[in-house]
Formats: sequence, C-alpha cells, structure tokens
Amino acid sequence: MKKMAFLSALLVLTIVGSARADAVLVLNSEEASYSILSRSGRAELARLPVGREPHHLIVTPDGKEVVVGSTATNELLVLDVKTGERRRVVRDIIDPYHMGFSPNGKWFVTAAYRLDHVDIYRADDFKLAGRIFIDGLPSHLAFDADSKTVFVTLQQTGRVVAFDLQTQAIKWNVKVGEAPAGILMLPDDKRLLVALTGADGLVVLDPKDGSTTATLQTGKGAHNFWPKGDGRHYFLSNRVEGTVSLIDTQDMKVVGTVRVPGGPDCMDITPDGKELWVTQRFLRRVAVVDIEQLKVVASIPVGKSPHGVFMLKSEAAGPASGPVRAVSTAGGSK
Amino acid sequence: MRDLIDIWVGIQTWIFETFVGPVLFRFGQMAWYEPGYNAVEFVMLGVVQIAVIAVGMRFFERRWPLERPGKDDGLILVDQVYTVLNKLGVIPLAIFVVTYPLVQEIELTVRAWGFAPPRLERVLPWLGDNALASFLVYFILYDFAAYWLHRAQHAFPWWWALHSLHHSQRRMTVWTDDRNHVVDDLLITLALVLFSQMVGVQPGEYVVILMIGRLVESWSHANVDMGFGWLGNRLLVGPRFHRLHHALASPEERHIQDHNFAPVFPIWDILFGTAIYDERNRPTGVADPVVDADNGRGWLVQQVTVFWRFVRTLVPRFRRASAL
Repeated sequence: MKKMAFLSALLVLTIVGSARADAVLVLNSEEASYSILSRSGRAELARLPVGREPHHLIVTPDGKEVVVGSTATNELLVLDVKTGERRRVVRDIIDPYHMGFSPNGKWFVTAAYRLDHVDIYRADDFKLAGRIFIDGLPSHLAFDADSKTVFVTLQQTGRVVAFDLQTQAIKWNVKVGEAPAGILMLPDDKRLLVALTGADGLVVLDPKDGSTTATLQTGKGAHNFWPKGDGRHYFLSNRVEGTVSLIDTQDMKVVGTVRVPGGPDCMDITPDGKELWVTQRFLRRVAVVDIEQLKVVASIPVGKSPHGVFMLKSEAAGPASGPVRAVSTAGGSK
Repeated sequence: MRDLIDIWVGIQTWIFETFVGPVLFRFGQMAWYEPGYNAVEFVMLGVVQIAVIAVGMRFFERRWPLERPGKDDGLILVDQVYTVLNKLGVIPLAIFVVTYPLVQEIELTVRAWGFAPPRLERVLPWLGDNALASFLVYFILYDFAAYWLHRAQHAFPWWWALHSLHHSQRRMTVWTDDRNHVVDDLLITLALVLFSQMVGVQPGEYVVILMIGRLVESWSHANVDMGFGWLGNRLLVGPRFHRLHHALASPEERHIQDHNFAPVFPIWDILFGTAIYDERNRPTGVADPVVDADNGRGWLVQQVTVFWRFVRTLVPRFRRASAL
C-alpha cells in the first residue's frame, strides 16, 4: 500500500510539474481537498488533501508562496506559488476564513467567520498581535494603502467596521445594508466598495468615516470583487442572480454582465488577461469566461463546493502584484 | 460518474435556486445560503432512500417474506409515517434546529481553545491518496461510535424507555428502522455529529455515510430470512443477524436483545463478545406489556406516551406517582 501511495504521489507530482506553467488551484471547501487544473487543457489534473474546510487563499507579500486557510483545523497550509506543492503548515491560526496581508507586509489579518473575531498577526512569524471579538460573522477584509486601517464586513449585522492596525481600536462601525461580503479598496484609496449579498448591488463608502457616497445595482446576491487589471474595471460576482458584472469604477456603472450559473463566487484572471475563471459553488465546477465576448466558454468539473481559485505563477512571473490584487484574492462567503 | 454528479447537482441547484434560495434572500437569511443548499441535497437523498426501500427492498419482502401477511399488517403503517418524516427531512430539520446551536457552541468553544482534531490523513498520509479507503476508514469509525451508543440505549433505563419504542414493533419490516422517538433521534444525532467533528469527518462524507448506513439498517430490518453467506454475515449486518437483536425475550433467552447491536459492521459484536449467529427465527417485540402497548398507536400518540415513559424513568418523583 505504501509503495502504491508513493507511486501515485510521484505520478501526481510529475503531472503537476509538467503543467506548472499553466496550472490553476481551486479549493474544494466541503471536501478537504484542492484541485489542480490545467489552464490550457481545461481539465483537472490532480486532487490533493488539504486540512478541512479550505475557503480562501492569499499570496505572501514576497510573491513566493500562496497561503490556504484551513478553517476547521485552525491552520494555514503554505503552498509553492509556482507548482502548488505543499511547503509547510502554520498552526494555531484560529478559524482563518478570510485573510489578507497589509500592503506594507507587516500585518496578516484573518476574519474568523464562525468564531466572531478578527485576528491581527505579525506577518513575519504569524504571532498573534491582537484579537478583537465582534458579533456578526466577520466575513471579508480590505486595507487602506498606508496599512493603517483594516476594514471588515460583518455579514450578519449588515455593518462594516474599521480597525486601527497598530492600536486595534475601532475607528468607525456603520450599517451599510443586507449581508455585506466582498470589500475592496480602489487604487485611489478614497473609495471602498462593499458588495451586499443580501441585496442586489454594492455601496461605495468613504474610508475616512464609513459614510455611503454612492450605490450601484448589479444583481441579486452581489458578493465578491476581482480586478480586471487596468485599475479601473472590476468584476463582481452576483451569487443569487447567477451572473458576473463588469463595473467601470470611474463612471461607477455596470458595463457588462455575463451569466454564470450555480452560485458564482471567487475569481481570478489568466496572465494574458483574456479569461476570467469563476468558481461555481453549487455546480462543483469552475467556469471559464471569455472576457472580450463576456461569455462562458468552458466549465470544468472539480470537487464539492469550490471556493477560492488561483492562477499558479509560471517561472516567468514575478512577485504577486500589489495589495488590491492580494486582498481580492481572498473573496467569497459561506 | 461525472455525468451522474452533474445531473444530481443540476437538480439540486434548480430546486434550491427556484424555491429555497429566493426565500432566504427575501427574508434576509443569507447566512443560511450554503446550509440551505445542503439541506436540499439531504431531502433529495431521502427521496432516493424511500424509492430504494419502497421498490427494491420491498420486492424481496413480497417475494420471500419471513412472516406471512396477517392480522398485524396494520401495525406497519405507522413505521411508514416515521420513514417518510425522517427521510424527507421533517424530523431531521427539527433536530437540526434544536441541536445546531449546541453543537456549534461546543465546536466553537473547543476550536477557540486552539484544539482542532486533525484528520486521519495527517497520521496516515496514504489515506489522502485514496478517497475510497479514506471514506471506509471514517465509515468504520462512525459505525464504532454508533455501536457503543446503541449499547448505551439498552444499558441506561431512561434511554431504554425511549429506545424501547423502536423495539416494540411486532411486525418488523424495511420501514421499522426509522421508528424512533424524536428525543432518542436527537440524542443519537447530537452524539454522532460531535464524534464526527472530533475525528474529522467532512460534511460531504457525513451525508454519504448517513445515507449508506441508513440504507443498510433499513435492509437489516427487512421481513426476510436472508443473510450474505458465512463470510458476508461477518462483514455486513443483514436481516438474519439484526432480527435476533429484535427477538422477543423468552425464559430461556431473557437477554437475547443484548446481542447483535452493530448497525452496519458486525465486527464490533464479534470483537466485544455480543455476536450471536444462528439460524433460528424468533418472534420480535418486547414482552413488557407497557412497551408492547405502543403497537396500534399512531405517530403522535406514540411520541407522547413514550415521552412520559422517559420522564417517569428519569425522574423518581414521577415514577412513584405513576405507581400509585
């Protein structure tokens, strides 16, 4: 049996290794596994074990590793950003549902969705710097550009709260609407977008005081953001509606919509910028959207309740891009 | 296989997005969006189980019945009610509503202490490469817990007061497995869910284990004299093996029901000295007239009378009052 297991592992690693240049990683949240897909072949190459209830992932500030939060085992599984191979496990990170590194690389923050607290760790050694208990299912988080503030959505109470990273004090705590989930700081550092999963669009907040400055209708169950890459356009998945909206954040309007059935959730874009990959939670698939045509061109079978999705970096790729991208990587909800 | 999965999740998604999701959205209950989706699967699995029982298992009962149809046939009807209420999620939903906050609180407290039981794959890495082996190991562990819980149901008088409802049936059939008091179901569910979380059973695995396990148990109550052969009877619980556990006690066999407890894998009875393999067919039921009186009662009356039986056993003051 041991020999068989070794040979299978060898085979998997060989396949993965040969496809590393164009591999995609998908977290199967209800299966304790992650799938490695071939981007060009549009097929699952391997399914490997990973903790329990893995939901989100985030690239380390140096761009060399990708961190997977294993929520039910209180640990982080650190994978190679190029191959997806397992490197190490960081223990005692309680309920790491949604995560983010502050733009200056100093802080690592987690939203413990089921345990109702936000944890601030030192990013260099993952030592806990502070734990803030707050009711209401802390769901997603985002940072301001100078790494002074972390903004957290509270899905159950319909609020967004801003914490000072250094002092861990609450700066403001405001009601924004039904079930806020995905949260995104725009590059101008002056507008905070919050997707309302219990409504049909997003609200724009002023990061200084949390006041609502604009709203935009996108689709029922507006949920999670992903940058198109030009600093202006962003995708937003609408879980209940079964669509993904393309938003122009300069004019603050929807400029395109694509139907993605089955509870679309997290997203990532291929390095050439031509395809958007979207997890379809209910259908146990990942949809491939042609961005120019705004049309689903493929749907690839994976494991149960796929959540986080991530394009592994090829040898040619440099460190992960800036904080906006890193924050957006960890999107989605229960 | 993938085609089957696509058809299954396609139906599940359609039901959820058409009927359940919009209601959750309308009433601002999006925190239940994913659990609601899983609940739809639970009901769908229930429909499949009822179909397997009503069509597949009943075929064997009709073709090769152990006890011929007779005047007691009416006693079976209430068991069909139990099966429908259980398999279609009515009872499980009620149990879920009661147990969820408790299970959640226990799990979260334990996790907040920093204790998170690892999955077996960390101890036995080869399991991670073999989904079937991994599933079987978790299934066996689950069944081990269920075996000891079943023994507890017979060992503690207050628990027997509840569980005796299951044993009171004189006309055992494929429908009998679900004949349980809701408090009994609640206790067993609570214990098994906590155990599953402790050893690291995934939600997806839990549903499949539950479905396969309950189907085996439905079959083991069938009104047929069948087994799986000498070896098979030692690997899987069948009707002949389990019928002995339901046998009516006699002066020669006063403790006959303290045998063959295993829900799915007889290995536990063999290992712990509670297995009996013989070819005799015995009548089923409970000799105690108070318990036997469950027969002929409807679902609601059974639930009420058995609950009072439980309270009287549990609280001495009520026991004395009832004896007067």
